[in-house]
Amino acid sequence: MGKINKFKEPATSGSKPKSKKLPRPSELSVPENLVSKSGQQESKGKGKAVAPASSSIPSKAIKKIKAFSPEPVQSEIDDHEEGSDSEDDGVDEEGMARLMKALGDDGLDELGQAELGALEGEEGDEDEESECDEEVLELGSDEGEEPSGEEREDESAGESIEGIPLSDGSSDEDVEDGEQADIPLDEVSNVDEDVVPRQKVEIDNKLALDQIRETVKLDSTLPWTETLVLSYPHTIDVDVDDDLNRELAFYKQALHGANAARALAAKHNFPFTRPADYFAEMVKSDAHMERIRIRLLNESSGIKKSEDKRKEREGKKFGKQVQIEKLKEREKSKKEMEERLKALKRKRKDVLDGPKANDEEFDVAVEDAISDRPSKRGKTGNGKSIPRSVRDKKFGFGGPGRRAKQNTKSSTDDFDSSKAGRGKKGAGGPKPKGGGSGRHSSKRLGKSRRQATRSK
Amino acid sequence: MEVDEDEVVPTVKKLKNKQRVLLLSSRGITHRMRHLMNDLEALLPHVKKDSKLDSKSQLNLLPELADLNNCNNTLYFEARRHEDLYLWAAKTPNGPSIKMHVQNVHTMDELKMTGNCLKGSRGLLSFDAAFEDTEWGRLVKELFTQMFGVPSTARKTKPFIDHILTFSIVDSKIWFRNFQILENDPSQPNGPPQTSLVEIGPRFVLTPIRIFEGAFGGATVFSNPEFISPAATRMALKREKGGKYNQRKDAEADTQRRKDSRRLEEDALGVSKVFS
Repeated sequence: MGKINKFKEPATSGSKPKSKKLPRPSELSVPENLVSKSGQQESKGKGKAVAPASSSIPSKAIKKIKAFSPEPVQSEIDDHEEGSDSEDDGVDEEGMARLMKALGDDGLDELGQAELGALEGEEGDEDEESECDEEVLELGSDEGEEPSGEEREDESAGESIEGIPLSDGSSDEDVEDGEQADIPLDEVSNVDEDVVPRQKVEIDNKLALDQIRETVKLDSTLPWTETLVLSYPHTIDVDVDDDLNRELAFYKQALHGANAARALAAKHNFPFTRPADYFAEMVKSDAHMERIRIRLLNESSGIKKSEDKRKEREGKKFGKQVQIEKLKEREKSKKEMEERLKALKRKRKDVLDGPKANDEEFDVAVEDAISDRPSKRGKTGNGKSIPRSVRDKKFGFGGPGRRAKQNTKSSTDDFDSSKAGRGKKGAGGPKPKGGGSGRHSSKRLGKSRRQATRSK
Repeated sequence: MEVDEDEVVPTVKKLKNKQRVLLLSSRGITHRMRHLMNDLEALLPHVKKDSKLDSKSQLNLLPELADLNNCNNTLYFEARRHEDLYLWAAKTPNGPSIKMHVQNVHTMDELKMTGNCLKGSRGLLSFDAAFEDTEWGRLVKELFTQMFGVPSTARKTKPFIDHILTFSIVDSKIWFRNFQILENDPSQPNGPPQTSLVEIGPRFVLTPIRIFEGAFGGATVFSNPEFISPAATRMALKREKGGKYNQRKDAEADTQRRKDSRRLEEDALGVSKVFS
């Protein structure tokens, strides 16, 4: 693998060559903050150990920072460090050349220039240069990229020389835990907002903060009613992206506050609840509240409508079947009714035809016929029931009544027998036709009279 | 002559909280930011709204303006690039100032915020426990108490307590909410008194960037390491999008190189050598 340049394949990271590559997330302080919350620890860790030193920034540099737009040159530095193992001390020779051009003699003293010369001699690597260019070029299109890169170089270069005495300085600036004091730049307070601070300094001057608070704070003797401040005793530990729980946590905080305030207000005799008849100007106008109300109404009605439609849609699937079944049932019942009525009519034909049509009994019979469970008494009703003797004769002892021979020798000779001519009809004996049982069924009235009777 | 020295009884003045806030914006403000400002003006009766500040670089004019208006606090909304909003909260004579980035602004106009409160009623302030954990948190709590808390001496205040402003620190950002306090559940007007809350708005998220010792300037006493300027965020996103082509080309070159490196010489028993 002799072809492979050691700068392209750094030993530490077994990744692809750095040409035309995005700066890795660990190297850039900027994108890492988008990705993770670990801060720029890694990027800072790579830099040299130089203390924050605002005084060491040349004034020119400050002005140039203001003027130019951001560029993550830090990545450049880190790339080299990773690849070259401190061979170039974190400073790019190409960058240094540009830097020198821009600053002229102001930038470095003789020692610095000598060092620069030494560096230049060592690094004649084309790849590195191309790397720099590409890194620089790919980072946005704003003008002034290169000079701002130079500025960074200058500062780091400047500080590398003067690093040691400054590392003790600024004792009143506490550096936050976890941050290694190797980021040299302090951010100037009036920096143009669009400039990304390449090497961020974390300042947390606890003492100063405390002192300031002491000076500005309100008198502690003020009663609660003057400030109406409440403290919620819990911290909110929810995932920021979980909207529901986050809002719920805020709601709980407010609820706790409201309840605590109610108690405090009662203690201080402070009016808390607004009476229902207190009318005054509200923060939102009535028209606005009306719009809100209408929107809420529309929402709820929309929900209802969609619910109904959904039910209908589901019901439709089964509705067809149900409909068919219902129709069938209806037809069936109709037919049944018709049949029963017909049967009844047939049996009562003679009765109906006659004038002695007993309506009540017919009605009862009709009812019986159309009902599903005919009465147990059957069609006997309370009409003339067969006397015991006749029943005995007919049904008793095996019941010879029906099954007895009729057309015997004796019967043919017998012309005056009681059952003569009634044989057929006699079979239906125990079920006499209701009223008018004495009637002979052969005495059928004429058509017109029958119809007349029926129509009555 | 005997002069009876009257015993000068020092009249114990009842200490009152006197605050007035100057509220103004820079130029280049969008309609959402303007509505947010108006909402704050409606909610806080001790606020004096002023016209736009012309230059964004001459922030030293602000303490003078505040003096002119007899205000001892300032809330200055700085709009940049017509899309980013920064809020400076400062105590004007020479007090500290905080610069914060404002995000996720929802104004009172939104129809989902259904609450309402008296105009000028003094609101409760609720700070969660995270404010006590850090020094800067305590300072911010103090400042907000004085700026967002309406003093009882303000002219346009109304008597009852209607709403509550909550400040919570989540993910090292300050979340602001405003709720109306209802006595009863609105669905049961005659039920037992049960406090319920409805959001009035506005709502926004503040990311503290820096705290300065003086008003709108001075030494930095706190800087937030987790703050990335919105410009940098946008740039990073764009670069990510643009990097895809480059990455693909790199990967292709890589594959090619690896293939080449693995290529072996023609074997002695290769076809071309045997059947030459």
